[in-house]
Amino acid sequence: MHTLHRGLLAGICASLVLAMFDFVTDGAPGNGFPGVLRWFGLTITDPTISHWVGFFLLIVLGGVFGLIFGVLQRGKLITAGRALLTGLALGVLWWFIFEVALANITNHASSPFNLSFGQFLSSFPLAVLFGVLLGAIFIQWQARPAAETS
Amino acid sequence: MSISSSARKPKGAAATGAGEGAVAPPITLSERSSTGLALLRILVGYLWFQQLFWKLPPTFAGLYGYVVRESQHAILPGYGALLQHTFLAGCSSLSSPVGCTAFVPLAACVWTAELLVAISLLFGLFTRFGAILATVLSVQLYVGLAYTEWIWTYGMLVLLALVLVAVPAGRRLGVDLWLAPRLQAAGRRHRLAHIASWFV
Repeated sequence: MHTLHRGLLAGICASLVLAMFDFVTDGAPGNGFPGVLRWFGLTITDPTISHWVGFFLLIVLGGVFGLIFGVLQRGKLITAGRALLTGLALGVLWWFIFEVALANITNHASSPFNLSFGQFLSSFPLAVLFGVLLGAIFIQWQARPAAETS
Repeated sequence: MSISSSARKPKGAAATGAGEGAVAPPITLSERSSTGLALLRILVGYLWFQQLFWKLPPTFAGLYGYVVRESQHAILPGYGALLQHTFLAGCSSLSSPVGCTAFVPLAACVWTAELLVAISLLFGLFTRFGAILATVLSVQLYVGLAYTEWIWTYGMLVLLALVLVAVPAGRRLGVDLWLAPRLQAAGRRHRLAHIASWFV
């Protein structure tokens, strides 16, 4: 499997895990999806549509980050350490772009870097988890064809 | 004769089967099973992660009511008294930690332990260590709260944690994937690495 294709699928799978968390959240399933829309300043009044659009946007963003991951590997076989580190860095980037900068800009916060301890705790570990999963899924799929050919 | 002969056959077959059964065949988990267990690990980690938010520092006030309930309903004799002389020492109210001398530092230890469990299980980082810690915390919850809610609520939490102690669930979709072979290799030369390799 080409690294771009593998990265895209790994990103989609990693974002599906994040989406899965929204089905075991307090309140109603999918309550977190409208939050994804708010990163871009979007609001949809119909809750059902808002949940679905938020879900698809999360998957698309996961796919985009997966593609970036694939591009960074330049079609080469990589080690598990490099995959996890690259994923970790992309997870931190995800957190910074969406949970810090975009969230503050669209909420008209006093500073784009405004963040409370609770906000940090609820967003940072999950964004980093996305990155680690991206790297781990990518390396597992890389190992499979390598094992088949050897 | 044919009947007795055929009657003996199963006996012989049974004896052979018992001979083969004396050595249990090794169990190898497939990639799909390992990935399934990794997803289970991530969800259990998320379970612990979610529970951090209703007892946030610096007051950990959300935990107080549960400690009071544990001290009143513990199923282990003496456990309630232990809680009253540690977590609840000096407390003058049943609803808020007013006057408590040791509640905040002890609650901070509980919160930190739960944070460690969440990080360990979510990221598959020293997963078995996280699972052992989760087992200890779950057993504590079972002892204190089992009879205040559905009896299996905390029982299932203990069992889930025990599954993750038994199986190396962090070696798929987790950092243990990278850590395990390195610790095992280093463990042949260094005792500390050998001990650390038990927890991945």
